Amino acid sequence: MTLLSVEDLHTHFISRDLDNQIRTARALNGVSFTLDAGRILGLVGETGAGKSLTATSIMGLLRPPARVVGGRAMFEGQDLLAMPDAQVNTLRGRDISLVVQSPKSSLDPLSRIGDQLIRIHRAHRKVSERAARDRAVEMLASLGIPDPARRMAAWPHELSGGMAQRVLIALALMNAPRLLIADEPTTGLDVTVQAQILDLLRDLVRRTGIGAMIITHDLGVVAHYCDEMAVMYAGAIVESGPVRQVFANPSHPYTANLIGATPERLQLGGPRSVGGPPPNLFRLPEGCAYRDRCPQAGADCAQPPPDVALGAGHIVRCHRVAA
Amino acid sequence: MSGLLARRILLVVPLLAVILLFTFLLVRISGSDPVGLLAGPTATTEEIALVRASLALDQPIWVQFGVYFGKVLQGDLGNSWLSNRPVLAEILDRAPATIELMFWGVLIGAGLGIPVGLRAAFRPDGGFDQVTRFLSLLGFSVPTYWLGLIMLFVFFYLLGWAPPGMGRIDLFLTPPDRITGSYLIDGLLAADWEAAGSAFGQLVLPVLCVAIICAAPIIKQTRAIALEVLASDYIRYARAQGLPDRQVRAMALRNSMTPVVTFIGTEITGLVGTTSLIEYVFAWGGLGQYGLSAIIAGDFAVVQGYVLVLALFSVLVFLAVDVFVMLTEPRAGVAP
Repeated sequence: MTLLSVEDLHTHFISRDLDNQIRTARALNGVSFTLDAGRILGLVGETGAGKSLTATSIMGLLRPPARVVGGRAMFEGQDLLAMPDAQVNTLRGRDISLVVQSPKSSLDPLSRIGDQLIRIHRAHRKVSERAARDRAVEMLASLGIPDPARRMAAWPHELSGGMAQRVLIALALMNAPRLLIADEPTTGLDVTVQAQILDLLRDLVRRTGIGAMIITHDLGVVAHYCDEMAVMYAGAIVESGPVRQVFANPSHPYTANLIGATPERLQLGGPRSVGGPPPNLFRLPEGCAYRDRCPQAGADCAQPPPDVALGAGHIVRCHRVAA
Repeated sequence: MSGLLARRILLVVPLLAVILLFTFLLVRISGSDPVGLLAGPTATTEEIALVRASLALDQPIWVQFGVYFGKVLQGDLGNSWLSNRPVLAEILDRAPATIELMFWGVLIGAGLGIPVGLRAAFRPDGGFDQVTRFLSLLGFSVPTYWLGLIMLFVFFYLLGWAPPGMGRIDLFLTPPDRITGSYLIDGLLAADWEAAGSAFGQLVLPVLCVAIICAAPIIKQTRAIALEVLASDYIRYARAQGLPDRQVRAMALRNSMTPVVTFIGTEITGLVGTTSLIEYVFAWGGLGQYGLSAIIAGDFAVVQGYVLVLALFSVLVFLAVDVFVMLTEPRAGVAP
């Protein structure tokens, strides 16, 4: 069952420069993907590709000068982008939850973690303080936090990074959301803790059947934990499909380069990828945005590339595949 | 836990010792010799030597400091050369007037400045923000004495709404018996409505002056602090979790309080100077006016006592701020 379906999402940063000319950075240029319940989607891409912006656009958390200028984000049949903000706010934290990458600074420094868990639960559900407290203790326990009843009284500054990330996940799960968006949930954590947190997320999705989207730049995380993946470049998805398929047969030159650039592949002495800066979002090239960095670019790349279906949900946006 | 608190409070003792050393040196460094002044122009050499010995001024400087230290501890701040009364008694007489003025001024200034600054921060560059930013800049730039004079000119001379700026109570009324030292409160306690009403009327303009001067920087600081808090990760995450706006604002308010209170603490200690000028304009007869007059007249024992009291006041304000922060801020490690 399709849980989230994003269709042709466009987000621009619209600002005025020193000469009072309107400048538009086209940060998202037609992002489309779907996520089914019970599945984990990995959104990968380099810094500035628009991964986090996709999440904040969907959740209605954009702040000026960023603005959604087109597209739809259908969550269980309702368009999140067409809803009044008050209605989206009731969905946020209840049906759609976010886990961010800076857990320690994302917790209210002046509230005990138990109180924060209770607060978020009671903001969305009409339950007694008692019931909310019981649920919070249960939630901390289910996330592998030792001695949860005592931990409820801890202050955020007393937590380690891994512990804070668990608390943040507990906050996100307090209201049993149906969609969980994890924006680089393990950045800054050491490797063993990273694995624990991601195992936890995967078990959760398998057990409860919710949909999850993991935003990361770590292809290892995608390979190990995700069912589907979508590769972003310059605000668009250039390749998406089942993880195994994409890794076995990376069809977009950018995806191939990305996979070739992992430390493991580089050690194997594979072909070196072509580097270069990401494109200027204020002046995206006509046609394929990857044209300037692509080793296989040709004259036809000045035309917008088509979406080519390779079967089993594997889709690539490239002229070379079409040919 | 409370050990930290106790240590902070105990820190006041060495601080006071250092302050005493400075007030002592203040007079010694000035280079004037009080003996000649005290003994008078007709004194003989023997008489001068006698006075010098009686004041222990013939002793080494550290002995002199010891004598000064001991006297201060006994509450002896010396006598004023102008009135020949003990400085401590004069200070205690005048302190309530200044405390009354500052208390209401800061209370109103902060009570006005904090909500205004917060509201401006919630909608930066909105109409409310633009207007209050201008007013705050105005409050910043206006010279204190000018504000007082203009207030008197407009509200007393032109409109006749306020009484003349001549002290704390109408000249023809007897002040109520001293309980707290505040004529307003004492008048209310003694059910002397006429005195209380007059004291209130006299308070309005000078308190308003202090409040305006006090509120301007508070608005600016509160706005800046709240803006920073509102842009923090935890506020953004609270929004991402769909916490109702009211709760997000309450969270921002609580997290802004520590820096705002710290700022107000430092501001109060600086406000002492402002209050002195306002006391002068309104003939308030408080400590500030007393200290300023003493400086002009070169009444050294008074200046020394005045500086000591000001330093003590600052120490107490900073202590109060630190205790507040320790009790409200979990990261300070004192809160249970």
